[in-house]
Amino acid sequence: MTPSAPGSLVARAHPFTSLTVTLAVVVLAFLLPASIGPVVLALLAIAVAAVVGDPASLTPSLIIVVPLWLLLLLVQGVLGDAPFTTWGPLTLSIGGLDEALAQGARLTAIVVASMLALRGFRASRFVDAAAERRWPFSAAYLVAATLQTIPRLRQRVTLIRDAQRSRGLRVQGSIVQRVTALVPLTLPLILGALADTDDRAVALEGRAIAAVTAPGARRTPLAPPVDTVVDRVVRWGSVLAVAVAIIWRITR
Amino acid sequence: MTVRFDGVSFSYPGTDAPALRDLSCVFVAGQVTWLFGKLGAGSSTALLVAGGLAPILTGGRRTGSVRIGELDPGDVANRAALAGRIGYVSAQPHLQLSGLAETVFDEVAFAPANLGWERGRIGTAVLHALARVGAGHLVDRVPTELSGGELQRVVLAAMLVLAPKVWLLDEPASALDPAARAGAYALFREEARRGAAVVIATEDADGVLEVADRIIVLERGQVAVDGVPAEVLGSDACWALGVGSTTVGALWRAAAERVPAMADDGVPLTLEAAAAKVMQA
Repeated sequence: MTPSAPGSLVARAHPFTSLTVTLAVVVLAFLLPASIGPVVLALLAIAVAAVVGDPASLTPSLIIVVPLWLLLLLVQGVLGDAPFTTWGPLTLSIGGLDEALAQGARLTAIVVASMLALRGFRASRFVDAAAERRWPFSAAYLVAATLQTIPRLRQRVTLIRDAQRSRGLRVQGSIVQRVTALVPLTLPLILGALADTDDRAVALEGRAIAAVTAPGARRTPLAPPVDTVVDRVVRWGSVLAVAVAIIWRITR
Repeated sequence: MTVRFDGVSFSYPGTDAPALRDLSCVFVAGQVTWLFGKLGAGSSTALLVAGGLAPILTGGRRTGSVRIGELDPGDVANRAALAGRIGYVSAQPHLQLSGLAETVFDEVAFAPANLGWERGRIGTAVLHALARVGAGHLVDRVPTELSGGELQRVVLAAMLVLAPKVWLLDEPASALDPAARAGAYALFREEARRGAAVVIATEDADGVLEVADRIIVLERGQVAVDGVPAEVLGSDACWALGVGSTTVGALWRAAAERVPAMADDGVPLTLEAAAAKVMQA
């Protein structure tokens, strides 16, 4: 995955801010009243990404959500109950379309926010931020390693695909050919990921990891990110928004 | 710190065949010890066991005693005490990256940061270590975008920065060009002079012959020969084991099969020794 530009807002933000906002968007997408709530949330996420965040993150987000939107509109619109409306040659359920709008908006908000956070994520900054807050290193490493899983798998997929193609595997063509090619692609991917875990453990052991995982030990943050007032306001604002939404859901 | 093996046997999980069998030897502080043997002889496993990586991370079963100083590296309780004292370098440098660093500086600083060093000390030590391996110019590069040779130097710097008491090196110069390889071996020599126990497992007989103080030839997980490299490698007993020799040594022996008199006064192992012998003749 291509990281966002170093100067972009999401790359400059404190790592805890972008992760908090993303988690808040995921929760709010399901708490806010459908379909207006998720739609506003999705538009807000797109606006942030386009205007002040990382506009390039919208392309991979669209690649993910556009097929899902089409699928939702088709399934919900065709299979939904009366009343119906007519769109050209199609007769679609109004209730189904409304449901598709809510679900599509939820997915869009979550995907756009996650993509923005993932592209802006820097493992070293996150680990430094965690060390600054005296988080246990193992917890920080777990989060950092998890968020790096997708880019690592993408790199590995490219290597495996190239290696298998050089052995004559055809990864393009008909649907049958593509499905057939999945097995020789996914099996090395899974086995390689497992082996990677072992190798990583040996690498970390040789790099004094035992010192920092001992009780009371603290890793030196090399370049701790600055936690600005804006960062803190955005984080607490996100938490507040989730809290208000939860209270609204309980009391309505 | 001296590393001591007493009657050590080790088997990897899922196999009954031991990789090490009743192995007893000492890697002395201040010396460069060269582990040599055919593939599967147990050199790499001996390094893993010496560093406690086997069996703690690899699994498997170890018997016998291994000591680094007074500590057993295979005991989980000693991991923190030994952290930063052992410099382990594998044959595949790309597998030794932390996965958390965006720059070479951060990569080399990873272990000192884990040890809680003060930031100023880390900066000085990292730049010094990179300069010693000839990688100072790589300081701002992205580790995953380096070539094999550059990466191997960075991994060496990542260990060198800790000034380890014990170096466990598994083919540490395999990706380096001849000049960089010579530099790496000179570095290991310097580290032994500093007082570290340096153990190198390598097939690179040409490179390590003049650096090593001692050679231990392993066969099927046991010590077959232990002695001074030039004497051991030039001996018929070592040649008979089939472990090979230096390029010049192997060439001389091939020639001696046709002209037996060539091997009368021993087999030269270096170009200089061979030239001198030819001149004498």
